[in-house]
Amino acid sequence: MTVHRYFAPESEAELASLIGRHDDVVLVAGGTDRVVSTRRGQKPLAGTLISLDRVSGLRGLSVGDDGSLVVGALTTHADIEASPTVVDSWTALADGSALIGSPATRNTGTVAGNIMNASPAMDLGSPLLVHGAEVELRSSGGRRQVPFGELVVGPGKTTAQASEYAAAVHVPAPAPGTGSAYVRLQYRRAMEIAVVGAAALIVLDDGIVSEARVALTAVGPTCLDVREATDVLVGQALSADRLDAAAAAAEDVARPISDARADAEYRQALVGTIARRAITFAAERARGRAVPVPASEVKPITNGGGA
Amino acid sequence: MTTVVGERVVRQDGRQKVTGAAYYTADMTVTGMAHGAFLYAPHARARILRLDVTAARALPGVYAVVTQVDAPPDRYGGFVKDRTVFACEEVRFAGEVVAAVAAQTPDIAALALEHIDVEYEPLDPIVDVEQALDGADLVHPDWEQYATGYPNIVRQGNDHGRMTTVRGDVASAFAVADLIVEERYVSDMAHAVPIEPHAIVAQWNGDQVTVWSSSQVPFLARAATAQILGIPESRVRIVVPYLGGGFGGKCDVHFEPHLAILARAARRPVRLVFSRREEFTAVDKTHGPMQIDIKTGVMRDGTIVAREGRLVIDAGAYAADGPYATEIGMMMFANGYRIENISIEAHSVYTNRTPSGSVRAPGGPQVCWAVEQHTDVLAARLGLDPVEFRRRNLVADGDVGPTGQVFEAPLALTCLERAIEESGYADALGPGEGVGVACAWWYTLPLASGAFVRINADGSGTIITGAQENGSGAVMALPMLAAEALGMSAEDFSIIYQDTETGPWDLGSAGSQTTCNNGRAVTEAALEVREQLLDLASDVLEIDAADLELSGGHVRPVGDPSRAVAIATLAQTAQGGRLLLGKGSGDVPAWTAHDASGCVGRLGYSVFPHPTFSCHVAKVRVDAETGVTQVLDYTAVHDVGHVLNPIGAEGQVDGGVVHGIGLALSEGTLHREGRQVNPNLLDYKLRTAADAPPIRIAFVGDGAPGVGPHGAKSLVSNRSLPRRPPSPTRSPRPLARVSMRCR
Repeated sequence: MTVHRYFAPESEAELASLIGRHDDVVLVAGGTDRVVSTRRGQKPLAGTLISLDRVSGLRGLSVGDDGSLVVGALTTHADIEASPTVVDSWTALADGSALIGSPATRNTGTVAGNIMNASPAMDLGSPLLVHGAEVELRSSGGRRQVPFGELVVGPGKTTAQASEYAAAVHVPAPAPGTGSAYVRLQYRRAMEIAVVGAAALIVLDDGIVSEARVALTAVGPTCLDVREATDVLVGQALSADRLDAAAAAAEDVARPISDARADAEYRQALVGTIARRAITFAAERARGRAVPVPASEVKPITNGGGA
Repeated sequence: MTTVVGERVVRQDGRQKVTGAAYYTADMTVTGMAHGAFLYAPHARARILRLDVTAARALPGVYAVVTQVDAPPDRYGGFVKDRTVFACEEVRFAGEVVAAVAAQTPDIAALALEHIDVEYEPLDPIVDVEQALDGADLVHPDWEQYATGYPNIVRQGNDHGRMTTVRGDVASAFAVADLIVEERYVSDMAHAVPIEPHAIVAQWNGDQVTVWSSSQVPFLARAATAQILGIPESRVRIVVPYLGGGFGGKCDVHFEPHLAILARAARRPVRLVFSRREEFTAVDKTHGPMQIDIKTGVMRDGTIVAREGRLVIDAGAYAADGPYATEIGMMMFANGYRIENISIEAHSVYTNRTPSGSVRAPGGPQVCWAVEQHTDVLAARLGLDPVEFRRRNLVADGDVGPTGQVFEAPLALTCLERAIEESGYADALGPGEGVGVACAWWYTLPLASGAFVRINADGSGTIITGAQENGSGAVMALPMLAAEALGMSAEDFSIIYQDTETGPWDLGSAGSQTTCNNGRAVTEAALEVREQLLDLASDVLEIDAADLELSGGHVRPVGDPSRAVAIATLAQTAQGGRLLLGKGSGDVPAWTAHDASGCVGRLGYSVFPHPTFSCHVAKVRVDAETGVTQVLDYTAVHDVGHVLNPIGAEGQVDGGVVHGIGLALSEGTLHREGRQVNPNLLDYKLRTAADAPPIRIAFVGDGAPGVGPHGAKSLVSNRSLPRRPPSPTRSPRPLARVSMRCR
């Protein structure tokens, strides 16, 4: 479809009003996903294209009084990757951002773009899930916060209304003793899309897991929350046995498909492995040990152990 | 003793290319230019029941819509004249061009494509090579009527190029062998993937057409375009602006005739620039999928006594220049080893896939991979170290190749020993790590080529050549050769190249031969100018020309700078009389003597003339749980004769190694119903800079006789990568151990 109208609003008021006035709108932030999909004929552009990049006030990272992280919608992956605050406290998010595309992609691509495109392979999805993030949607009618898991509901599908745009992501403050990590299976080290990904958040209290969340990427229509992993991990030390149980829980949740990047069978076979690595790295970080960002670049732990 | 040749000279086009200042065909604009677009076959095989362009032609802003009805009916093609400009009655691969439009804007052109009314009757695509060889429908039912310019070519059904290599007595040798190992290796389709996609601009001026094209072979493109249009070559001019890589994918005639026909119908210049998807699907050049059967008999001491092989290449819908790949693949079965008894049979099979052809070292890497894997298996089965096994079998002085060529002081073993030494092959390995070694051989083609060299009035020089620069730096080496001959520096020369109206004939950037053959031509042209300069200086200095030398931009008495006369001064004198103007082609060196009389269907590579050898060592780490493999460290040793410019030679090897690692680990083409599933750079996984390992490069063989100028030989990085799992795009199986072999 040919684009008939192009707007580049400079304020949120102007943006909200434009979205309200047209019914065939495509919002573009960094465009790193959108442009490629459109060129490949997967997602034709609509008649009205609204560019977000000039809207003021939507980019930047801040930590609120309650210790939570607020990520402006237009914050780039490079911003996140380079933020010591994110690397320290919301490390899985930094892992995810640092893996996206190439330096050029990360300098252009935005958090909102990654979320609202709702790709099952999005590298921020699982980190946002394990950190319990909420996405703030705004429109001319007001604002609301939606947990990430309730916003993205299918490939390319969100529960955002046509009148709404993503304005920010709110990520709760981590409890003391938290470590998080995102690991993906990748065939190459740049310009890659997750084949299988997993994020984990582990809170350790005197060696005992007091809180745990695991989420999966690229093995279902959306990023998947592995709720059972919480049950099998919380209340005990992170033993090899518990890791196995959490990996098994992840395998139960996964519903991979076959596509050009991998067979479903291969993805399914790797879910446990990748989940185990994410949990292991998250626990390492919870113990205060340094695991470089992105964790996927770290030489894999091949013994599967959780020490 | 040389002063310029052998130095690290930065190529002239480097700065423009790196800074983005270089202009490519896609950057061309001609006044009044229309935008072209192709309509492609959506099916791998279908009958065209209806093709109606009336509605498309009627759209405002559409200047022309053409189909085969508007094109000459004669079939054309390199080996077999099997194709028409646009699809005729039937489409034979998904991506075949059915129609072309020229319109005022790209959007209108796209709209016009949607308005072309075409109805297909889809047919079951022929995609299995064994079935294609035995009983399947014919991809070309009328193949017997197709002409070929090659009397040797052996055609039978869907096989459009059966060939054999026969030497010695394989059956008797197998009978005495201590061990026989028989294996099958299968490789999939891979693409050239130049960073610049195909682009063409065509403009008519009266009855002459100029086509700016992203071609690697402008003279071949000119010949084919002229033949297809039915006009003399003198009325077709092919100009190549900067070329953004080719890797073989831009060999052969491509879309120059299509655009010439379209521009003539539109009565205005037309430009067409490929998208990345088109670059994968419409370009009839791929590494065709290969099925490689190899059977070898060895003695307990490791001596190879016999080899039998069968190579079946899925050549796709049209022969194009594919049979070269088949023949080169055949030669790779011997791969630098001494094999007294050898019998190889090869088939080039029509299927309904994208045609195969001259992608970087056509036919080489696939068979080299299979042979080298097989070599490791042989060594393992004999309990021999893979290096020692190779040591015992690589060719030595006086050994004989598969078609009877006699090796003279080959450096195969030298490459092996140097690679082992440089790479730390024997060093301890970490967990999950492995090391592999592979050897390869290649050829240096002696071919005709031409150039002019002139000296301008200010003493600067101009090289006018028909040679084509595709990125390898071959043309960029030419100023060094002229400078060497004339005692000047490489920077003194500009180069006029890749334009069929200015330079003498050249094959183009194909066959790993530009520097050798055009270098010889430039050297001869420069030496003619040298004689002219010496004559002039002899008059000025009143010294016999035989006692003069050229050095530092001057002509002087040998060893006496005090009486030097500047070339610029002589050039001014020349401008008033006999110009400083040289031409060269040179005597084409002889092809290596051989005897292919027992062989069938051989075309142009019945021998690997003036062979070169190489040996690579790769250290890898395999993630045992996922199968994902990382190359940690790489060593490449090549015998290329005298290295003219180390920067250029190293760059060629770097690129070849990274390309080879891509083929080995992550590149691969998936098909569904004959259609490519991953024709894009997201899912066709080239290696990125982040994936490139440190590459250690060494050249051996300086001083050995070479066929090119100053003892140079060809340098193709034919990517003899040691280990090649199946394309991980198709999911690597978790490997049980590092040494697991993939076939």
